Amino acid sequence: MSTRPSALSALVSAAVLAAPLALAGCTAGSTAMVAGGPSTLAVGFTAEPQNFDFTTTDGAAIPQALLYNVYETLVKIDSDGRITEGLAESWDISDDRTVYDFHLRDNATFSNGEPFTASDVKFSIERVQRDWTISLKSGMDVVDRVEVVGEHHARVVLSRPSNSWLRAMTTRIGAMFDPNGVSDLANDPVGTGPYDVESRRRGDSVVLTRNPEYSRPGDPRPEPDYGTVVLKYYADATALNNALLSGGIDVISGVTAPDSVPQFEADNRFRVLQGTTNGEVVLAYNNRRAPLDDVRVRKALTYAIDRKALLEAAWGGRGKLIGSMVPPTDPWFEDLSGEYPYDPERARRLLREAGHESLRLNLRIANLPYAVSSAQVIASHLKKIGVTVDIEPLDFPAVWLQQVFTDGDYDMSIVQHVEPQDITTFGDPEFYWGYDSRRVQRLLSEADTAPPREYISDMREVARTLSDDAAANWLFLFPNIVVAKNEVRGLQANQVSEAFDLTGLRRQGSS
Amino acid sequence: MRGNLVVGGSLVGLVVVTALVSFVWTPLDPQAVDASVRLLGPTSDHLLGTDKFGRDVFSQLMVGAQTTLYVGIVAVGVAAVVGVPLGVLAAMGPRWLGEFVMRTSDLVLAFPALLLAIMLAAVYGASTLTAMIAIGVATVPAFARVARAGTMQVLSREYTLAARAGGRSRSWIAWRHVLPNISGMVVVQSSVSFAMAVLAEAALSFLGFGTAPPTPSWGRMLQESQELLAVDVRLALVPGLAIAAVVLGFNLLGDGLRDRFDPRLEARR
Repeated sequence: MSTRPSALSALVSAAVLAAPLALAGCTAGSTAMVAGGPSTLAVGFTAEPQNFDFTTTDGAAIPQALLYNVYETLVKIDSDGRITEGLAESWDISDDRTVYDFHLRDNATFSNGEPFTASDVKFSIERVQRDWTISLKSGMDVVDRVEVVGEHHARVVLSRPSNSWLRAMTTRIGAMFDPNGVSDLANDPVGTGPYDVESRRRGDSVVLTRNPEYSRPGDPRPEPDYGTVVLKYYADATALNNALLSGGIDVISGVTAPDSVPQFEADNRFRVLQGTTNGEVVLAYNNRRAPLDDVRVRKALTYAIDRKALLEAAWGGRGKLIGSMVPPTDPWFEDLSGEYPYDPERARRLLREAGHESLRLNLRIANLPYAVSSAQVIASHLKKIGVTVDIEPLDFPAVWLQQVFTDGDYDMSIVQHVEPQDITTFGDPEFYWGYDSRRVQRLLSEADTAPPREYISDMREVARTLSDDAAANWLFLFPNIVVAKNEVRGLQANQVSEAFDLTGLRRQGSS
Repeated sequence: MRGNLVVGGSLVGLVVVTALVSFVWTPLDPQAVDASVRLLGPTSDHLLGTDKFGRDVFSQLMVGAQTTLYVGIVAVGVAAVVGVPLGVLAAMGPRWLGEFVMRTSDLVLAFPALLLAIMLAAVYGASTLTAMIAIGVATVPAFARVARAGTMQVLSREYTLAARAGGRSRSWIAWRHVLPNISGMVVVQSSVSFAMAVLAEAALSFLGFGTAPPTPSWGRMLQESQELLAVDVRLALVPGLAIAAVVLGFNLLGDGLRDRFDPRLEARR
């Protein structure tokens, strides 16, 4: 559990890392140039990993840096949300959909020189069930056993059919580990990916260098174009923007100051890519507590908020109206953004029907830019139908998690939900939505074991039911805005996986 | 010398008048969001343009003056009401009590005001009230020191000694001689502390620990303008200049008042 290196190992790694760091160029200070030559790429982020161990440490920053880049999975998810090959070249699924046969690449190798084989698959999956502590590990509960059929043939047997398991295998829980490489996960990750962690400066950067064991002869996957990738971490969006403008970095992994994007669009040194994410910005209604336990009140509030205007004012019109807990890259996506058209008259009528001439509600939000912005628009819109909103920004994550998420002490809240397939949270009556619907719970549990075709229609049904119940108000889908220097190619517009995938990046002009 | 008083007084007066007017009238509703008019430059409808929510910046600036003065008055009020009696007590009471009060105030002084405010905000939630109390508590020592120093001076004067020789009680002396004589210093200290309170509130709101949205606050206007610096500097300049003007105003006013009230300067006049 400890994330702190022993004094000795810290000393040793400092000595080992000192030399290459000097060669890699100056990484000190957030405004410094990265002078590592043409094959170095610097990417800027705002959230820094606390350590490198995502098996015991929650948070999006670790898989963002390591998944697909250092650790690989049997199957990957592409930018359109399709499942594609990873360490498994192909896979077969039995007719009863409980037995998965994975045929592995025969030349993948861990960065410590160990070959990747079916026994590593068994080790990695069983380790999730046995040693992982983060809540996402429950995605592996459905696995009954793993069999090593041949050196490059692993068989996974599920206890029941599950439509979500293979998709979950594209996330961090599907990462493949070497039994000899898990002794110091927090500091020294060992994976089969194209990059290896070279060094790390807390509060500043992580340096990845090409894994010499990757792409051995016979492996069709190309070697990465960039020999060194520096992941640089900045305190806020403005610092990140300035770093790109001043040449300190080559890519902004995600712009979170949407009104600053036009300055990059107008500048021909840069390219701006805008796509989707898995992040639904949700106005949560406390379904458990009066007056929001009344569906008429929830509907009234939903009619009273003009989401198009909100997106325009709060997030510069960047992002997508979705109207449900489903991002467009999920196979069961259906655009429900037209379900509650802006209609303050109707909202007032619904409120009166529910017996309220006026209302006073608290809006306990995460103290984050998108939430603070959205909250002010919401307060202004709801004022027009006689609802007074008290905005209370709570320190995120600590205070928000305690008051809203754990204690459920709120009327309304705003936070972005980024986990893949988080629509399933509506099946948990204990979740902070306070939403308890037998129908949704039944549909969700049926959907996971149903044949694939029914799976999709069941999930659509869930999304529609939630919308009909106005279980929450899905304000907009958070945009993925990547800004890069012109010569950097191969970036993905959509952020579907948990990783910031470096594998496809190329420098324009190189082969 | 008089210049300080005049310039400071007019700057402060301007802000006070603006705040008072904003109670009854602003050009537009400062909280009304309208995406169709976002980020406009100055026009006849919007004297100082609009922000990213399409809100009128001039109206926000006016109502923001309320917040600023409100925070200053309450914070300084708390500090003076607690600090002055403590200071007088420290000077007139038993020696051990004086030591205790002054060492405690050293302790509070050593603790950064902003940190205290952020702690309170984390525990009780960010609000104007938390900010005011935190700033007030952090300013108590300044008042206690001024009051104690002033009291010591007064206590050494002949008229105090005479009153004491005449058998007057300590509280009579405190009420009759000490308080009237140190009131000038307290007013000067109030003016200076006011400027600091305004700055502290702006800093707290900038960090998101002060006045909760949507109530307009100059600090939060600054914060919201931060990501738009490259798009429109006006949004940062307007609240920034307002804060600077108020702080300058109260400091000059404090200087001017000191020139007038400080007994040590009496000889020069």
